Amino acid sequence: MRRLLGNIGGSLLFPFVAIVFSFAIGAVIMLATGYNPVAAYAALFEGAFGSPASLGRILLYELRLTDAAPGPQDTASLAAIGRTLVNTTPLIFTGLAVAVAFRAGLFNIGGEGQFFMGAMAAAWLGVALGFLGPGAIPIVLIACGISGFLWGAIPGALKAYFGAHEVITTIMLNFIAIFLTSYLTRVPLDREGVLPGTEPITESAMIPILGAGLGLANYGIFLALLAAVAAYLLLWRTKTGFELRAVGFSPGAANYAGIGIGRNTVLALAIGGAFAGLGGGIEVMGVYGNMDLPFVRNVGFTGIGVALLGRNHPVGVVLGALIFGALASGGQQMQFDTQVPLDLTSVLTAVILLFVTATKLVELILGKRVRELAAGTRLERGLGS
Amino acid sequence: MDEILVTIGAVLAATIRNATPLVFAALGGMFSERSGVVNIGLEGLMLISAFAGVVGAFLSGTVWVGLLFAVGAGLLFALIHAVMCVTFEADQIISGTAINLLALGGTAFLMVIVFGQGGTSPDVEKFDPIAIPLLSQIPVVGRALFDQSLLVYLMYVMVPITFFVLFRTPFGLRLRATGEVPEAVDTAGVSVARMRYYGVALSGMLAALGGVYLSMSLLSSFTEGMTAGRGFIALAAMIFGRWHPVGAFGAALLFGFGGALTIRVPPEAIPNEFIQMIPYVLTIVVLAGFGGRAIAPAAVGKPYRKE
Repeated sequence: MRRLLGNIGGSLLFPFVAIVFSFAIGAVIMLATGYNPVAAYAALFEGAFGSPASLGRILLYELRLTDAAPGPQDTASLAAIGRTLVNTTPLIFTGLAVAVAFRAGLFNIGGEGQFFMGAMAAAWLGVALGFLGPGAIPIVLIACGISGFLWGAIPGALKAYFGAHEVITTIMLNFIAIFLTSYLTRVPLDREGVLPGTEPITESAMIPILGAGLGLANYGIFLALLAAVAAYLLLWRTKTGFELRAVGFSPGAANYAGIGIGRNTVLALAIGGAFAGLGGGIEVMGVYGNMDLPFVRNVGFTGIGVALLGRNHPVGVVLGALIFGALASGGQQMQFDTQVPLDLTSVLTAVILLFVTATKLVELILGKRVRELAAGTRLERGLGS
Repeated sequence: MDEILVTIGAVLAATIRNATPLVFAALGGMFSERSGVVNIGLEGLMLISAFAGVVGAFLSGTVWVGLLFAVGAGLLFALIHAVMCVTFEADQIISGTAINLLALGGTAFLMVIVFGQGGTSPDVEKFDPIAIPLLSQIPVVGRALFDQSLLVYLMYVMVPITFFVLFRTPFGLRLRATGEVPEAVDTAGVSVARMRYYGVALSGMLAALGGVYLSMSLLSSFTEGMTAGRGFIALAAMIFGRWHPVGAFGAALLFGFGGALTIRVPPEAIPNEFIQMIPYVLTIVVLAGFGGRAIAPAAVGKPYRKE
């Protein structure tokens, strides 16, 4: 348990500083451009988590403590939470894709492409196996995982057997995956509608929505949480996970102990890819029901921020995904209520990313003793090695 | 026969137009990486500069102010990268990713602030083609190579300049040494941090030229996300060109030629997507060591800490 929770104070320090900086800079930008940051952030929060008063009224009503039925404003709060859950789900997966590889000392920038490969598998097999109804869901999801696994194994093998650095190869493979899925969507799988896109998956083969006024939020969020638990168990409770972490912690020592570095390099990126692929599949099977062009972008890249904010721990990944997911859904409300352009949330995300690994900055603020706390957010090797 | 020559000329002209922004950004990336700082933020540096150029030209009515704004914006964003990576020892990959995201969100945000609308900016002045006397009269290739915008000519001279600076000046030697053995540079009394700031700053200004070429030469307006991955293709060109200016120039021409093909090859023959994949596939091939290994500067990606 202690390992699970770790040194919570230390773990939260870097993310906390990054978030505070980001919101402070966002406030400065808004003041400079003539907006009211307080109103904007209030709208952002309400758009992400609903208003506490509304949620309170709904709760009281559901518990039969009051007869006052919730009004439309109250149900809007539920819809906001639903949107946040929808945004959080894929980010948990792409965050895990980065975190698992990171534990083995590898930087997986390929979440975007792995996510696309999983989504593609779902868009194709979801339709092809649609006649199975709900029975198709597990089969398709396994296929999505395999699809991401194989796509992740490529940079793993290139690194292990040819020495090609995974950062560059995963970036390149992202584009290859995006072009490949674009071709498959546009030509062989096109439904021949106005815009290029695949056939919609039969309703019965979709991941069911949660209902209860939560909009598109679906059971995918539980699969994401299960995936986080699975990642934790894999890394800290299995021999495979021990080997992965050993390779990440000290490749030399791992090698000396007879742990194959090559094999584990391939495995780490492939497992990461499987998580991202599952995320892509669940996005198609739970939210969109098909793959349109252009498909959702930047989920994989945001996953990098999610993992780092969560210090590459599954629990942290879930929290990080929630923060970035909330930013995305709150942005719409912020734009609607206060006219602050939605894109400010991308700026906030970028600033969080900028600061989350800035070891020296946190040292300057809080003194040298925090240096060891940075351990979970950086790899010390260069790209040339 | 004439028709074939016209086609060759047109393909060559398109190749140059496609390659120009790639060459600028790839040369920029080279200065940064040669100094030991990975710069996957080239995409963002190009994007913010493309935007700043249009804003400058819009406010002033002249391309020169646009150019100044663009280079200034590229420099500013590059300095953010430098401060984070060199001074605060943040992760270089993460910082680069953040720069890309910052440029994407920041330009979309500022579009609304400056022009009152998202999407595409109003039209501004642009760098029109200037035909060079005599040279532009050369049959077939003349117009393709020498009836281009000023920025293309600047690109032509930037390749030898970069080569000269990197390999024939004390500054270039120090810069390269900083990316290979920073300890030695430090021991020799040269500040590693300062050299890296120079490298990253140069990358920002060069990438800016690539960005401003997109918005004020190829087009005459800014569109959100208009760099469309060119920063990453430039990164690929830099690697495929083995961190060498002439190599990067050649790689950018090759990738630009690929781009020119996408509008010539009938999609039934080879779908566009497969032609667009080529730069990325080739980069993986050379990184994996097929056909002569591409090797990055030894210290690239590592923060340098005196101790």
